[in-house]
Parts: sequence; C-alpha cells; structure tokens
Amino acid sequence: MTDVTQFDRIIDRYEKTEESLLAILQDFQREFHYVPEEGIRRLSEVMEVPESKIYAMGTFYKAISLTPRGRHTIKVCTGTACHLKGAPQILETLERELKVKRNGTTTDGEFTLECVNCVGACAMAPLTLIDEEYHGQTRSSKIMDMVKKQVGS
Amino acid sequence: MEKVSVIIDGRTFEAVKDQCVLEVAHASGIYIPSLCYNSEVTSSGGSCRVCLVEAHQRGRMRLVTSCNYPVREGLEVKTDTPLVHGIRRGVLELLMARVPDSEVIREMAAAEGLNDVRFRRDEGENDRYKCIACAMCTNVCAEVVGVYAIAMTGRGADKKPATPYYKPSDVCIGCGACAYACPTGAITITEEDGMRRIWGRDFNMVTCSVCGTPYIPEAQVDWIVRTTGKDRSFFDKCPDHR
Repeated sequence: MTDVTQFDRIIDRYEKTEESLLAILQDFQREFHYVPEEGIRRLSEVMEVPESKIYAMGTFYKAISLTPRGRHTIKVCTGTACHLKGAPQILETLERELKVKRNGTTTDGEFTLECVNCVGACAMAPLTLIDEEYHGQTRSSKIMDMVKKQVGS
Repeated sequence: MEKVSVIIDGRTFEAVKDQCVLEVAHASGIYIPSLCYNSEVTSSGGSCRVCLVEAHQRGRMRLVTSCNYPVREGLEVKTDTPLVHGIRRGVLELLMARVPDSEVIREMAAAEGLNDVRFRRDEGENDRYKCIACAMCTNVCAEVVGVYAIAMTGRGADKKPATPYYKPSDVCIGCGACAYACPTGAITITEEDGMRRIWGRDFNMVTCSVCGTPYIPEAQVDWIVRTTGKDRSFFDKCPDHR
C-alpha cells in the first residue's frame, strides 16, 4: 500500500484544485473500497492541501470509509416500513451466516454489512441492497441464496 | 469607514458599519456573554449560541448571535429581556449537560441563576469533557498560525477537533495557540523537564540562555525561521531577557 503511483494515477485525472478533493476521495473509495491513510497523505502532498483538511472531509462524509471494507457491501434497510416487514430477521440471518456484526466487515474481507435508514423504496419493503443492486420483498430464508447468486460464489 | 448609529439597550452608540454587535456592545460597556468568539480570529463565532440577543430591524425582531451580526443604520439591539435570558439559560443548560467539567460554563450559568441541569449529563470520552466543538482551536491553527495541524473531524454529536488519524501530527509546531484560544480549556498542554506535550506529541523546548527557562518549542522556532526568515539566534533568549 505504500506504492504512491496507484494514488497518482487517480489524482492525475483531476485538476489540481481543492474542488477536486471529494471526487478523488470517492475514486479512492471505489478503487480500494476505503480511503487509505497513505492515499490521504499523497493527496495532501500533490494538491498542497493540509492533511488535516482532507482527513476531516473523510470523517465527515458517510460515503467515505477510512477503515478497510469488504469487496461487497450489503445494506439492509431498517427504516420503519422495512422494520415492520421483517428487516430485523434479515439482518440477524446475515449476521449469523456471514459471521459478522452489523456495520462490520467479514474477516476474509469479502462482505461489509450495514444498516441503512430508508432508501426511499418503502413499497418494496423489506429492502436489501447487495452492492448497488436493490432487492425488494426480501425474505430471511432467501437472503443467503440471493447473496451467493449475485456475488457468484 | 461608514459610520452608523445603533441602539443597544435603549442607548444610542456610533459604530462602524458591519462591525459585529458583540464588539460594539463590549466597547460600550454592555456585557454579553460569549464563548466561541474572538475578535482576532475572523472565522470564529456563531457556534456556541450563548451571545444570542434580540435584533429589532424594520419592525421585525429576530434572535441573532451578536458575535457575527453586523450593525446597520437603524438597528436596535436588546440584550437584557426575559426572552434573551430564557434562551441563554436554555443554551447554557444544554452546554452544561454536554460538558459538565467546564468551570467557565458553570460560572456563566451561575451568573444566569442556573446551578443545576435538568438533562442527563454527557458521560462521553475524557478528551471531550470540556470541548463544545466550537472550532476555535482549528480556526486559530489554520487562520492565525497557518499550520493546519488540527481540523474538526466527524459530524453531529461526535464532532471534535483532532489531528489526522488521532496520531501525533508532524506539521504541528507545538505553539499551544489552540489551547490558549480554547474558551473552555479543553486542550491539554503539559510541560515537564524541558518537554511540552500537546495533541499526543512531545516537543523539545528551547531554553533561554539567561534565565534557563524552557520557553518555546524547537519546532516553533523552525517554523518562524522558515516562514519569516528571522535570525535563529533571536530565540536564544526569552522575551523577558531580549
């Protein structure tokens, strides 16, 4: 992770202005599934923006994680409608089967399990997002099959 | 500079247009309590809400933070009404619940006749027991000192000033301006055996060649020499013996 060229490749795509910072952080997030410390340091060097400023940005935005995350993200909606329709059971099943606590990452770095509060599709409750894909009317008995099918393992 | 006249608590004062209400009041001997404002720090103010006052303008009244409300012709400010005291008590009560250890806030609240809090006291982590997240320290570090060693991290109730990754910062010069400017004394700075410790980093201190007092961190001397070109030998003696 100390090779700076992988960061420079992304940084070079953008103009050297402070406005580009967030977009670059998002690209880091996409590429490495989190924003590495070395990445922030390199970005600070290249853009000549204080490291503290970039670090603060990273802690502010929920879309940016400063700790390593799994290759796949599973988000279980626990909003009101989904909660009533059985989101807690889905969450429990996933926690049990993947051996991971909510808002945690599996030890093999494969999955990150998250709770979200309403994704705005309550008619499809209960809702589960596997990576960017929305799955409506999920059932705890089917959830693991769905995960396996989409992730292809 | 355009002059305007402004009424504060029934008395008319002359002030510079766009000067903040708090400064006009303080210059005129009218006390408004405040925590997060420092006239030397442009980016400070507006976050602690202690300095709320009534601003009457064009027949309307609004509660505004006097530390960042500009005075204009025809503005009438009231700092001593039941509404202002009520709101101030509410704000102080919440601050007391958030940082029960802060003597400054406790004194300010006592001055408003407030000695106890109805809310559950925050029993957060130790390092933010006195911090009200006003960003004075980070503003001073960025704007006055110019080293950007700390920034406000996180959001909402978890917001607090920190160095990147909570690690000792390699850009920090140990000047202690953040601790000095902090309205509640929330930043720990210790000095022992010619070493200063702040934000988790130890700084070697330069000792005065006359009195032998360690008085400035080496890193701060480096920074001043680098940015201003001042001669290093200037720092051989402390301000008292120059």
